[in-house]
Amino acid sequence: MAEAMKQTVATMLKGIERYNPDNLPTLERYVEIQSRENAYDLEANLAVLKLYQFNAHSFNADICGQILLKALTNLPHTDFILCKCLMSERQLQQEPINQIIYLADILEQCDFLMFWTRIHSLPELTQRITGFLDSIRKFVCHVVGITYQSIGRGKLAELLGDVDDSTLKHWIKKYGWKEESNLVFIANQDENIKTKNINEKIDFESVGAIMASCR
Amino acid sequence: MYTDDTQEGFDNYNSYDDYSAHTGDPTLDEYNRQHFKMPELVKSFLVYFRNCVSEGLVFELQTLYEQSWPKLTEDYFEKRPWPEEAEVAALVDSDPVFMILYKELYYRHIYAKIQGGPTLEQRFNSFYNYCDLFNYILSAEEPVPLELPDLWLWELIDEFVYQFQSFAQYRARLQKKTPQDLKTLNSNNKVWNVLCVLNVLHSLVDKSNIRQQLEVYASGGDPDSVSGEFGSHSLYKMLGYFSLVGLLRLHSLLGDYYQAIKVLENIEVHKKSQYAHIPACQISTSYYVGFAYMMMRRYSDAIRTFSSILLYIQRTKQLFASKTYQHDQINKQTDQMYHLLAICLVLHPQCVDESIQQTLREKSYHEKMYKMQMGDLQEFENSFVYACPKFLSPCSPEIDCLPDDYSKEAIQHQTAVFMDEVAQQKMLPTIRSYLKLYTTLPLSKLANFMAQNNRNNDGKWDLDKETQNLMIHLLCFKHKMKNVVWSKGSSGLEGKFQSGSELDFYIDNDMIHIADTKVAHRYGDFFIRKILKFEDLNRKLRMLKI
Repeated sequence: MAEAMKQTVATMLKGIERYNPDNLPTLERYVEIQSRENAYDLEANLAVLKLYQFNAHSFNADICGQILLKALTNLPHTDFILCKCLMSERQLQQEPINQIIYLADILEQCDFLMFWTRIHSLPELTQRITGFLDSIRKFVCHVVGITYQSIGRGKLAELLGDVDDSTLKHWIKKYGWKEESNLVFIANQDENIKTKNINEKIDFESVGAIMASCR
Repeated sequence: MYTDDTQEGFDNYNSYDDYSAHTGDPTLDEYNRQHFKMPELVKSFLVYFRNCVSEGLVFELQTLYEQSWPKLTEDYFEKRPWPEEAEVAALVDSDPVFMILYKELYYRHIYAKIQGGPTLEQRFNSFYNYCDLFNYILSAEEPVPLELPDLWLWELIDEFVYQFQSFAQYRARLQKKTPQDLKTLNSNNKVWNVLCVLNVLHSLVDKSNIRQQLEVYASGGDPDSVSGEFGSHSLYKMLGYFSLVGLLRLHSLLGDYYQAIKVLENIEVHKKSQYAHIPACQISTSYYVGFAYMMMRRYSDAIRTFSSILLYIQRTKQLFASKTYQHDQINKQTDQMYHLLAICLVLHPQCVDESIQQTLREKSYHEKMYKMQMGDLQEFENSFVYACPKFLSPCSPEIDCLPDDYSKEAIQHQTAVFMDEVAQQKMLPTIRSYLKLYTTLPLSKLANFMAQNNRNNDGKWDLDKETQNLMIHLLCFKHKMKNVVWSKGSSGLEGKFQSGSELDFYIDNDMIHIADTKVAHRYGDFFIRKILKFEDLNRKLRMLKI
């Protein structure tokens, strides 16, 4: 469904047609399909926000909330900021959008434990977004993957939202990490993260040229 | 030759001096305005100008546009509008095309120079004049026989977007409007409507096939092979290109950074190309592109964009010095870009070119950067507000809203979004300053430092909790410093995740391993300065007469 719509929608986003408010119902339906089918199309979603920006009376907080949650599923990309910039201060303060803004803020600060606590207290907020929690786990794994050479097993399970042992094993396998007793070996970071030295190289010829011009 | 005569003539303007100043007495001024006789020199200029337009003498037009017009403005119209339409029409047989072009310059001058700015009526008329111009160009069956200098075309598009921006700001300030003004505004909702402006720019892009031309050009082919009937004409081609930059600006003003970058697909901002020969256009392009990157947290890309154009400006400064009417704008934008670069470098420390570094070490920037590094949020905000574009909301407030000033809402919102980002990164400079001192550092030790640094805990803290907090900040550090960086490809939106900042680290269980960038002392610059000093000394010695 989402795949089939992608083509139809793409023609709606070309040139000036992008700003045609008649396309809004189709584009909003497309947002709901993305939520249901765990698909994602940033460009189409930004076009919806743009239409809201131009036609403030059509603003739909529910659709907008879904767009923002979908943007979170694409972390570490900065889609959420792009969405926020197209909205207005007043819209950001509406329920449930303000809740989502808060989620984004703690995720961006990588306070994952706080995030999981929050999610458990508000399960209905993200329920309609299929695969939402796993998308966040992907983001957690991304951050872990760039930060750690090895991490405590318990710590990792905690960051992933206190997952049980089999789920933990699933994520470790998915990213090709290795279990070593109480630690999980992520990757050898020595090779990527090392001290750089920047030296200036000036050869005699180039200095000679400057000297020659000074007489 | 005619030009020589006029050029000489322009220098003899002193004889007309009585016309050129305000008297300071409003009634007398009004009297003067009504009885202002068009100087002969201006008359002959306009007649000659019109001839050049209709005969398509581009080089001549370039001189008239870049030199004669500003000079005459300075001499006769510093504080008053150029002659009215009817007066000029009589001189040029009401030549329709010339009259449209004249009125464009006429209104532009009112926007720029007349105190109090344009009236509502003038704003409307300027809009209608743009409609006439673009209708003439766009609805023609075949390319119109009109050729204008590229600088003029650029300033025309840029001014069109500027006047839209100015109108949106004006429209949003409800508190100073008379009921009559509000009524007029309400019954003319189509005037300076954002869709209309977008439509014009898109149409110019489509008509010229400029996207296709740029695509072929980027892949090394001949753009003329896809330019089509219109796009092969310089007028359409350049209007198309400048409209892309106009769209970049317009999208940025509306906070749509994704579209802003996307619209420049197939344009490599840093590269010289056959389209990129108008410095003001290049500078404006880099300003908006860099800004959009900064908002998208693509600091490496923003820093690259800003440093590259700022270096270009440093090297070609003399070029702009003579053309004063552009110079102000370029200077302002340059200063704004140094501010934005300073912000980016505080958030994402990275090596930049030595001569850029030199400028940033100057007092005003240096102080601001220092404050921002120390976590002064107000300084971040001040620098941002000074350096950001003048954002607008596309929807003007309803006229029956409370008579308030709504023009600042958009800028406040974009500032808030940016400041959220800054607040999220608040702890990173402190962590960076500690990490810089070590190559390896146990987590618990750093947690201790951080706790001591935090003065709110009265010397009591729980190490586990502090370590817990530190972990969050360290993860945040890695996340925020790993950003999409463009390396190749036709779209500026593309790129790969990279850690471009100078300090990096990883954690091996409980130990932090730090990798810093060490820059050896730059002796090249030092030597060059010493060589110059030596040369200077030598020259002075030779001049000595004993």
